[in-house]
Amino acid sequence: MTVFWQILIDGFAISSLYALGATGFALIFGVSGVLNLSHGALMVAAVVAAWAAGDQLHAGPYAGAAIGVAIGFGISLLTYFIVVQPLQRTRKIREEEKEIFILTATLLWGIMIQQLIAYLYTDNAKTVAPIVQGVISVVGVRTPANEFFTAIVCWLVIALLWLLVNRTRAGKAVLAASMNPRGVTLLGVELSQVYIAIWAIYGLLVGVAGVLLGMFLGVSSYSAGPLTASAFSIVVLGGLGSVSGALIAAYVVGYLETITAYLISPAYRTIPALLLLVAVMYVRPRGLLGRR
Amino acid sequence: MADGTHLEVTGLTKRFGGLVAVKNMDLRVGAGEILGLIGPNGSGKSTVMKLIMGIERPDAGSVRINGVEVAGWPSHKIARMGAGIVFQHSRPLQRQTVLENITLALLPDKLTRLLVDPQTDERARAIAARVGLSGVLDRRPGTLPFADLRKIEVAKAIARNPQVLLIDEPFAGLTSTETAAFSDLICELRDDGRAVLLVDHNVKSVARLVDRVLAMYVGERIAEGTADEVMRNETVRRVYLGGSIETAARPESSFRDRTTPFLEVSHVSVQYGKAQALQNVSIHVHEREFVSVVGLNGAGKSTLFNTISGLLPYSGDIRREGSSLRPLTAAAIARGGIVQCSEGRDLFTDMTVRENLDLGGQHLPATESAEQIAWLFELFPILRERQHQAAGTLSGGEQQMLTIARALMMKPKLLILDEPTLGLAPVILEQISKALERLRQTTAITVLLGEQNVTFALPHADRVYVLEHAQIVWEGAPEAFAAEMGTGYL
Amino acid sequence: MRASPVKVLAVALTVVVLAAFLPLWLNAYILGLLTMAYYSGVFAMAWDLLFGFAGEVNFGPTFLIGTGAYTAGILDSLYQPPIWVCVAAGTLAAVVGGVVLALPALRVRGPYFGLTTLVAVLMLQNFIVVDAHLTGGENGLTVPDVISISDATNYEIALWFMAVSGVILFGLACSPVGLILQASGQDAVQAGALGFNVTKHKLTAFIISAFFSGLAGALLVFYVGSASASSLVDITVGVQIIIAAVLGGRRTILGGVLGAIFLVAMSEALRPLGDLSNFVVFTMALGVVLFFPNGFFGLLTRSGEPN
Repeated sequence: MTVFWQILIDGFAISSLYALGATGFALIFGVSGVLNLSHGALMVAAVVAAWAAGDQLHAGPYAGAAIGVAIGFGISLLTYFIVVQPLQRTRKIREEEKEIFILTATLLWGIMIQQLIAYLYTDNAKTVAPIVQGVISVVGVRTPANEFFTAIVCWLVIALLWLLVNRTRAGKAVLAASMNPRGVTLLGVELSQVYIAIWAIYGLLVGVAGVLLGMFLGVSSYSAGPLTASAFSIVVLGGLGSVSGALIAAYVVGYLETITAYLISPAYRTIPALLLLVAVMYVRPRGLLGRR
Repeated sequence: MADGTHLEVTGLTKRFGGLVAVKNMDLRVGAGEILGLIGPNGSGKSTVMKLIMGIERPDAGSVRINGVEVAGWPSHKIARMGAGIVFQHSRPLQRQTVLENITLALLPDKLTRLLVDPQTDERARAIAARVGLSGVLDRRPGTLPFADLRKIEVAKAIARNPQVLLIDEPFAGLTSTETAAFSDLICELRDDGRAVLLVDHNVKSVARLVDRVLAMYVGERIAEGTADEVMRNETVRRVYLGGSIETAARPESSFRDRTTPFLEVSHVSVQYGKAQALQNVSIHVHEREFVSVVGLNGAGKSTLFNTISGLLPYSGDIRREGSSLRPLTAAAIARGGIVQCSEGRDLFTDMTVRENLDLGGQHLPATESAEQIAWLFELFPILRERQHQAAGTLSGGEQQMLTIARALMMKPKLLILDEPTLGLAPVILEQISKALERLRQTTAITVLLGEQNVTFALPHADRVYVLEHAQIVWEGAPEAFAAEMGTGYL
Repeated sequence: MRASPVKVLAVALTVVVLAAFLPLWLNAYILGLLTMAYYSGVFAMAWDLLFGFAGEVNFGPTFLIGTGAYTAGILDSLYQPPIWVCVAAGTLAAVVGGVVLALPALRVRGPYFGLTTLVAVLMLQNFIVVDAHLTGGENGLTVPDVISISDATNYEIALWFMAVSGVILFGLACSPVGLILQASGQDAVQAGALGFNVTKHKLTAFIISAFFSGLAGALLVFYVGSASASSLVDITVGVQIIIAAVLGGRRTILGGVLGAIFLVAMSEALRPLGDLSNFVVFTMALGVVLFFPNGFFGLLTRSGEPN
């Protein structure tokens, strides 16, 4: 019975993290059609920044976390201005090939970040000192308070994002742009500004998700690829472009992994989720809630 | 019909979600015959073509090629049964020569053929000669004019010697000389004993060629006969032209800004790849004037409007109150008061009516936005009832009203309406027509309307332009239109 | 004007013949580097057939390579049959793996295809780690046999293997089959309407790509004497292959070899930078993708696409 509760609590925390990471990924795709394969590297960069500032330079967990989020934000905007925007605007590549070029370029960009981190800070795993210390005992399961903190922050941020998109004029324009980019242009909204806005929001989400991940599990520069893959899988599983689909899929994947790790072996952790993904793509390529 | 029917379609039906794109279509084309399949945008004519070729799967009905039932087959099998298609948008292989592109279409669907045999090469050259490409065999498509690219597509389509040939908008983007040459080529193909199906917007462009015409509207057949018969057909005239016309024009001299009009489009040309979409077009619109640009689908109306809205690159000059629009982005042009209701409507279909309107008014202060919405609900009362419904669930007419209302939320100086009547029932047209008249009477708005439906376009208009084959061919008062242009228009 | 295929091939083969004499002058270390570059060149060419011609982006070239390499390696370490049996088995396994991957993957389009191939790599990686008793896990698999211990022999094998693969792949790409493949990749609807069974042709391309990837992977194992997930299967390795092909020039097949040699030369030249060298190489690769999307071969033969 303890195992059941343990899976329930651990799974919830990890799933919340996945949900937060994947939400940003889905947002970028939904609005601008870009699949950002440097996603994982951005998260790792945020973790390493938080770790370097908080633990190495002794800036304390709060300042560290803030710096981590800031780095995620900054690199996200760099990704847009250095990699994505030039490719979207170039005339050297035919329109129908741009998608593949953006995929390749963001993948390269991610590896560059990864290599640079490995060079500057080695490829050892880094764990950020959690903001909330201590252990809470719930229904007989002793759980680090940090897990609850992670889940709460994730959902707070997701809720804020929801409010931003659904309750503000700017957010509405972003939502409208994801449905019909031409439509918002004809209403006088500059698409280029919408794109900058979503990359900025995405940067914050990635930063927060990264820092939380660093406090919860810790990452190394090698984690970049698997992190991208898990976000990509979750988003595809939920249906490309559907944020609510991604949220549901995050929980499916998070729990599937936790169950496998507890009941079978941690070594098999990611396999069932990947199998599920392949199965879903075969039966329903649109994903669970996909529109196209 | 010389020796039987090559292509026979019965009861063909295709649904996309809730929309019936093609409903119970019957058509047959005999050997040595050209059938023109015409209809305005959205009438389902292109879908019929795709269903015949197996690019879309029909939901019901039969397609027979030389007596063999092929409905539901994959397209490569239908091609091998003797059907060929000339797509409107040609996409040859850019890195191969013209000859290689034609050779491609002659290759067997086998994995074992590693060398081109001499006969294939000879046939490719013969086909190239046939369509008039002999002189450019070793050139690459990127270096050729648009008309030659169309010829490559024809060459590919006839490579397997199909008995049924489908041609989508044969003359789109061609000049009149090229059109004549292309028509001759199509006639020759018919004289070989092929069954040819031409798909186009209107009778006029294909009248010279076709033996019979079948007119479609909203997925159904509305008329069939010779080109003359179809042009005289009442239903067809109603669909294309509308009913009788009353006009109420104000003379151009009554507008104060005679020397510098509000909007001035001078010598504007636009190219889509190699196709000429607008050729040296000049129009102007005075403040408070209501100008209609009349032209059939494909004439270039949407291109003109999209160019004014800053969505397309162009040569020439577009000025608003004397200052050039060129440095402005599309969004800046819209914010500056030139607002377009596009042909595709561009609504945010998953959002409610109210949210769509709010987005239109997002540059306004909240109170002003609320006032504007109240005024629009008065202009289009149905939108008030539907305000919490998702835009995508509205009927076509309601969506059109919402599109206009959303544009009016921007408080435009110039409202551009692109084909507002497309696919709408007459009752709805009347409602929209009344709303426009009210706008014209009660506000200072300037309107630029693009229409193929003359009855809708003329009553409000102060001045009319006729756009044909990417060029302005007539300008004048609406009263003069019927006398000077009315008959030759269809 | 563009260079004719025959001329390109003649120049390429002349270079190969000249390269065959390099062991007379070069030391073992440089020969070793070139040997690796030639195998990567084959990987890149096989990838380009799939992407440049069939229009399918395969993010998992290392799935095919790894399947070939590990099958051959495991077979050798368990039963020690003759090396050619191991290599043949590895190649066959890669082809089977390619078909298993392609059948579902070809049903989906664009990013989904890419993702399916990416997932295949992750699954293979998981399998290697989990079944450590067979694969050696994260430490890698050491095979008891090697083809040869002579650097010159290994070099010549790699060179001529690359040359033969290049001739076959390039010839195929220029042949009618390649023409159909290119048409299918560019516009599947139109290719279908011209009477071509698009799925059949793409599946064939996948099989051919898998064949050469698997074969090269298996040979590589018996050259290096070991196989590890980080050197053969990791996504970074796959990205290097893709970069080699794109650097060399998409749709040129032979460009992949240039790209592969360039990558090896660059990481060697940048060796003084230590761990930073990889970063610089990837930065340069990104620069090429952004500024010269047609790659080296596109510049050399001026066969780049017009806008």
